[in-house]
Amino acid sequence: MSEPAGFWRRYVFSTDHKVIGRQYLFLGLAMALLGAASAYIIRWQLAWPESQIPLTRWIPEPAMYDGHLDPSFYNQLVTMHGTIMIFFVAMPILLGALGNFLIPLMIGADDMALPRLNMLSFWTIFTAAVVLLASFFVHGGPAASGWTAYPPLSDDPSYTGVDWGQNLWLLAVALEFASFLMGGINFLTTVVNMRAPGLGFFRLPLMVWMQLTAAVLFMLSVGPLIAGAVMLLLDRTIGTTFFLPQRGGDPLLWQHLFWFFGHPEVYVVLLPGVGAVLEILPVFTRKPIFGYRTIVYSTIVAGLLSFIVWAHHMFVAGIDPRLATPFSITTILISVPFAVIVFAMIASLWGGSITFPTPMLFALGFLVTFLVGGVTGIFNGSAAVDIFIHGTYFVVAHFHYTLFPTVFFGGFAGLYYWYPKIFGRMLNEALGKLHFWLTFLGFNATFLPMFLLGMGGHMRRIYNPLQYDFLKPLAPVNQFATIAMIVLLLGQIPFVLNFFGSLRYGAKAADNPWGANTLEWQTSSPPPHGNFPTPPTVHRGPYDFSLPGAPADFVPQHRPAAAGGRAA
Amino acid sequence: MNDATRFPSYVAVWAWLVALLVVGLACAFLPFGKAMAIFLVFTVAAAKAFLVARHYMHLRSESLLIYAIAGLPVLLLVGLVIALVPDIVFRR
Amino acid sequence: MTTAAVAAGERIPSGKLAVWWFLASEIMTFGGLLAAFVLCRFAGGGWEDQAAHVNAWIAAVNTLILLTSSLSMVEAHRAVEDGSRGRAATFLLITVLLGLTFLGVKGFEYSRELAHGFTPSTAPFWSFYYGLTGLHALHVLAGVVANAALWIAALRGRGWAQVAPRVEYAGLYWHFVDVVWIFLFPLVYLS
Repeated sequence: MSEPAGFWRRYVFSTDHKVIGRQYLFLGLAMALLGAASAYIIRWQLAWPESQIPLTRWIPEPAMYDGHLDPSFYNQLVTMHGTIMIFFVAMPILLGALGNFLIPLMIGADDMALPRLNMLSFWTIFTAAVVLLASFFVHGGPAASGWTAYPPLSDDPSYTGVDWGQNLWLLAVALEFASFLMGGINFLTTVVNMRAPGLGFFRLPLMVWMQLTAAVLFMLSVGPLIAGAVMLLLDRTIGTTFFLPQRGGDPLLWQHLFWFFGHPEVYVVLLPGVGAVLEILPVFTRKPIFGYRTIVYSTIVAGLLSFIVWAHHMFVAGIDPRLATPFSITTILISVPFAVIVFAMIASLWGGSITFPTPMLFALGFLVTFLVGGVTGIFNGSAAVDIFIHGTYFVVAHFHYTLFPTVFFGGFAGLYYWYPKIFGRMLNEALGKLHFWLTFLGFNATFLPMFLLGMGGHMRRIYNPLQYDFLKPLAPVNQFATIAMIVLLLGQIPFVLNFFGSLRYGAKAADNPWGANTLEWQTSSPPPHGNFPTPPTVHRGPYDFSLPGAPADFVPQHRPAAAGGRAA
Repeated sequence: MNDATRFPSYVAVWAWLVALLVVGLACAFLPFGKAMAIFLVFTVAAAKAFLVARHYMHLRSESLLIYAIAGLPVLLLVGLVIALVPDIVFRR
Repeated sequence: MTTAAVAAGERIPSGKLAVWWFLASEIMTFGGLLAAFVLCRFAGGGWEDQAAHVNAWIAAVNTLILLTSSLSMVEAHRAVEDGSRGRAATFLLITVLLGLTFLGVKGFEYSRELAHGFTPSTAPFWSFYYGLTGLHALHVLAGVVANAALWIAALRGRGWAQVAPRVEYAGLYWHFVDVVWIFLFPLVYLS
């Protein structure tokens, strides 16, 4: 396969999975700026309501009045923060970038099974992002009904004052869904059809298992929400009455359709982050991952269970109370396979020769913070407790303690680990460590207090907590969280400097700077067009570290088994 | 796989499909009880879908993976419908 | 794809795997919409008074049209397997024309119903009616476009060997659209 010539075919409309992976990465990082900016304004408003928010004087009316936040714009920012972070940051970085870049390399293939579909998938999500950003500029502004878009609030323009903004939101999300459906097709087909000789399923790197499971979960869960989104769009445009109670519709139907997707979706986001951590731990402990098959089976079980827990988002929505018990049970159950995976991670550390370069720091950071997120999920999953904490900052803290670890700790771990492979340069260690500590401390300081806020009854999505007497004593907590968040945001500057500076000035990366076994490290950094000069053959599993009798403390997957030796 | 099994008479399948269409229409307009009529009509639809899937979409000669890809969504939908019955069908 | 082939075992072509994967997501989408329809209809007491205004005979004709188009589509596939480009082109054209006829009949049906004052806002039944059949019609249109593109490629001949396997994949999609209608028809028109 010869490399295409010309700037446009090589760097813009490329079918090379490595280029497409980079494109997804840059899209995700760019949208993260917007996600962070919205978080900044939201948190400042919560800490010092009605004050003039620094650096926002340029935002025009009616969104902001000389730096003072309009309540409707607050709702719009909350909506866009969630939408952008989940659909345009988390998924592009973890699935679009890491998945696209790594899968063909990790299985020894020269590209994805359907390269042109791959290219189409990127440009679809790019279009989706443009549509979403366009919604900021239409009359009435962007969607304001939360990333969950519950009707009737989202159904009738007169409730929020938002008209075309909500329609564009629906269109953007639909395009994003189409993009990841296309991507998922590629992931599955490629892993099924294009594995190198000798690469059976139980020799696959765990990252590939995670990407595969995520793709399956997404594909099977998104349909009902696409149906729901069509229904909502029709309600808003041609006058159907699916979700309007006064016209015979049922708002609860939307919630069921949304969360049937919404719950598997959070595992779609979680699993690749877990995958990154599972790739990194063996490399920096120099021992095999503990419980490879157990992790695989637990992932599959968790994936199956993820389809029957969704109503735990709806315990107080007015569902039939008899639904609460079965969904509580399944929700508590699903914590088991994830706990098993976390235990496997901890056991993987035990007895290892541990070193702490930046990827490892972020991987350990994931472990610590995700533990908190997982454990607090149990509180939310028990219907009786959830009655008290639903819709409060307890939930906000819980999902930031699961999503942030996977996207930012797992994602950054992956970025620091694979940056040499993707860009051919090494990142600066000192800046990396600084980034880690500021992120770790900033994140925990921001979100840990929110559990207290939630237990104190602080509601979500409110514009001014000081309107409520019982929330006034909690004001210092909000202020603390906001200051911590600013530290967290500033802490990303070392990363930005490191990321772009190293592109230019970083040390040239060797093929295998970390001494890892998976196939992507057995070719140049970055890999050439076609990935492998000679297609590899696999003889062992991906985590043969510190194998007794081996000449080095790692044995790459394509090394043949020595005579009398044991191949995994 | 010889030609006879690979390509059954597609026209014969079509004839069956048309016959089932007629049967379905009959079930709808004959004096069955409402529940019985719905059951019969749905069974006819399932039979038609089965014929199209098996013979036109060649499911009869496809591998387990394809069956899994096609079958899992159907199972999930059954689960979704069951879970939604209390809320949507029996709401206050 | 130039990677070394996986040893032994029947391999499903990537294109076919991809189409089935896509169809699985479509099953979830249409299934979700149909499930919502069935459940809401039960809840609403059957909606018989509204449902009485759709014409089962017109829809039955459309069902016949779609079933026949599935026949022509699979014959187009058989023609491809036999290596007969001309026959494939003929059957593809028949499928396209039948698909367009379906859409024409649907449009005629809509115009009648709208003229009688049955709009999407009239009652929940009509919301689902227009939503379900409209979404289905959009899928028929997409299939018609795809089949037309294949028909043109078959006529032209140049590069046909590369394009010919796609007739099977387009066929799978087309049969799926037919299957959706097979369920839609009784649920909307015969209940």
